[in-house]
Amino acid sequence: MMRFLPAALVAALLAVAAPALADDPIHLGVQSCAGNNCHGAVQPIGNSRVPQNEYFTWSQKDKHAQAYTVLSNDRSKRIAKNLGIEDATKASLCLDCHADNVPSAQQGPQFQISDGVGCESCHGGASPWLGPHLTGESHAANIKAGLYPTDQPLARAERCLSCHLGGDKKFVAHKIMGAGHPPMPFELDTYTAIQPAHFVVNQSYVERKGRPNDIQIWATGLADDVKKRMDLILDPAHAPKGVDFELSLFDCQSCHHSMKDLQWRARTTTGLPPGRIKLYDATSVMLLIVATRIAPPEVGKSLVDHMLALHKASGENWDAVKREATAIRELADKLVPIITAHDFTKEDAIGLGHTVVVSALDGNDLDYSGAQQQVMALGSIVAAMKQLGYADDKVIAALNQALGGLYDAVADDQKYDPDAYLRALKAFNDKLPS
Amino acid sequence: MRSLLAVLLLLLAAAPSLAQTETPIGIHIGVATCAGSNCHGATQRPRNSYVPGNEYLIWSKQDKHRNAYNVLLQDRAIKMARALGLPDAANQKLCLDCHADNVASDRRGVQFQLSDGVGCEACHGGASRWLGIHISGATHAQNVAAGLYPTEQPVARAEKCLGCHYGDETRFADHRLYGAGHPRLAFELDTYTAIEPAHFVVDQSYIERKGRITDVQVWAVGQAIALVKQMDAVLDPKHAPKGFWPEFAFFDCQSCHHEYGQYARPTTTGLGPGTVKFNDANAVMFKVAASRVAPGTASALSQHMLALHKATQDDWEAVQREAKAVRDAAQSLVGAFSHHDFTGEDMRALADALFALADGDAQFSHDEQITMALEAITTGLKASGAIGDQKAQAVDNAMKAVYAAFPNDKSVNQDAFAKALKGLQQAMRR
Repeated sequence: MMRFLPAALVAALLAVAAPALADDPIHLGVQSCAGNNCHGAVQPIGNSRVPQNEYFTWSQKDKHAQAYTVLSNDRSKRIAKNLGIEDATKASLCLDCHADNVPSAQQGPQFQISDGVGCESCHGGASPWLGPHLTGESHAANIKAGLYPTDQPLARAERCLSCHLGGDKKFVAHKIMGAGHPPMPFELDTYTAIQPAHFVVNQSYVERKGRPNDIQIWATGLADDVKKRMDLILDPAHAPKGVDFELSLFDCQSCHHSMKDLQWRARTTTGLPPGRIKLYDATSVMLLIVATRIAPPEVGKSLVDHMLALHKASGENWDAVKREATAIRELADKLVPIITAHDFTKEDAIGLGHTVVVSALDGNDLDYSGAQQQVMALGSIVAAMKQLGYADDKVIAALNQALGGLYDAVADDQKYDPDAYLRALKAFNDKLPS
Repeated sequence: MRSLLAVLLLLLAAAPSLAQTETPIGIHIGVATCAGSNCHGATQRPRNSYVPGNEYLIWSKQDKHRNAYNVLLQDRAIKMARALGLPDAANQKLCLDCHADNVASDRRGVQFQLSDGVGCEACHGGASRWLGIHISGATHAQNVAAGLYPTEQPVARAEKCLGCHYGDETRFADHRLYGAGHPRLAFELDTYTAIEPAHFVVDQSYIERKGRITDVQVWAVGQAIALVKQMDAVLDPKHAPKGFWPEFAFFDCQSCHHEYGQYARPTTTGLGPGTVKFNDANAVMFKVAASRVAPGTASALSQHMLALHKATQDDWEAVQREAKAVRDAAQSLVGAFSHHDFTGEDMRALADALFALADGDAQFSHDEQITMALEAITTGLKASGAIGDQKAQAVDNAMKAVYAAFPNDKSVNQDAFAKALKGLQQAMRR
């Protein structure tokens, strides 16, 4: 197989193989991976373990491939202008998430910033591991050499959320939103699927990486999301100065909704009076559902108490906000190993599905952000039921059809109608095995 | 009719005894008292009447003030009350103070009904002190001296209307109320007088009795008083920030309640994208009027508004300092606006300033006020004869197109708005 490698790639490999350190590996560029007998094949070659069309899935269907290109469109130009940035394609503020923006010392000869979020943005700079990877090393050996373990739920959550939520280094502050950046909904398992995934879970995958459980991926993503959100609240850069406050910590639709509808509802997980801005809590509410199912009862109890206290403090007392955020962060952190170790059974899948449905049906969380997380949660649960054989094909088909109705109901936040959503939810509930 | 007359006579008989225990403000004797068929409840002008006589019918059939109390019984109001932790809306001072003529019970006459909503005396004042002389043909000045509220005077009208349509020290729609579901309060004095609809007709008799008051005067005074009231509310310790949030009702609704698609445009506030913007629509309109009448005040106001916008982000003490200065500037021109003779030249210059402001500003709250200001100006130009009858129709049609550019309360169709303004500008040309 080696003999078909492009000469340039061989040269690049030879050039970088020795000096590359695991900490700051060289990013060799998408081209290094896209050889037509590596990951750029139109069909699997011989008895390959992987589909080999990963490059085409990415380049043809995956928006990550367009992440850099969008920085040149009219909208991005306008955003840049609003922010006083001369060129979005040259600003690290934009490039840090819209490209594989590693320092130039880590850019190999075939590296192109214009590839956007390419292979090595997620899988890590390939210089230390491309050699063993090509020579048929085990997955574990590749990881040891520096390949990023995207198959592991927590590692995947960390990697995706570093941009899709952000942290101390990369963060879509409200200033950027206000300049025109779109909102960023996210749920780890659903976004893995709709990317679309360029891996196939077959026998070989399971043997090499274990059988993924969509519910575990969903739950791990939630825990990591809540942890990261609390870190964002605790970041001194986001402390409030009057109204000059990091508004992107709040639920977008808490403000950005029509004034026509009576949308305020009493909610047992916030306790907020009308007219107040609500911290984004959709992932915390979902995490609470997971905790109630699989963790010792005091964890869920404590989580809901601290969530209520956090909402109460938000807008009133920043020291109390920080105290509560710290407590919630600790609880989310505690939940990660519990989730990772838990075997999500058929009973768990169905039980969680019903609890998610009920959380909306009882009117407790019908906010758009809540509905969005509920729909994606149910999507993950159905995916798990299919993948793990928890229901027959007929049931899965009916559930997927009902999911379509749910996705339609949350397709546009400006047109979201809680009553239409509830109807779609009831239709889904009817198909969910008891 | 006979029975009404009898009631009226009874009331008149009661008047002296009322006078003996009179409060400084007077007893509110109820809508029925005014609605006699040969008083203000006529279908056609009573013989020798100065006024159309159908004021009651206009109010009861067409004026939303009439339903102000009734809406408190509707589903929306009940839901709102529940959200606020109240058992109902129709028995709450919070709601009734603006949704009815909610005077103290010892000031309610026998025919007074709370369910009449915002009735005659809510605006014209309790009639016990002046109904007698009013019926017996006293002059308007005498009626006013006896306690009739001078709603024809722009300053007095602005004070009265804005007491609810913006709020005052006892009545204020705060963001908690909005959050519970109260609709946004939009207001411009001259336009809202017209669309109420007005139950008066400005004819020769009106002018002789009350003077000629122009639409643009009403507009300008309305802007000045609205700005004073907004700043009074900002300075009110009740509305000081609780915790780190300010009272959101001071801010521009659409600054937050907008669709994501309408992303930041350059504004006159000096604030960057993603910031919550103080509602400056009245200040911007006031500045347009002041630039024509007192340019020095206009430029001072601009400086203070810029400082206020900056301060809203992080320094409420500075907000209060600037609010005081803005308030003083607005108050200082109330007299000048109410006495200024807005000529055809003035009105055209104001319209041009508004067209220029709309060009590239693109903020819902400004566009809305620009639209209503142009309504006042075109009405004024027509009334003064500066826009003749043959052009009036084209101007009216052009105004309709401007209004049509607002499909809902959170967005302006910018292209349609710009095009409609161009059309209006064209139609207004001499």
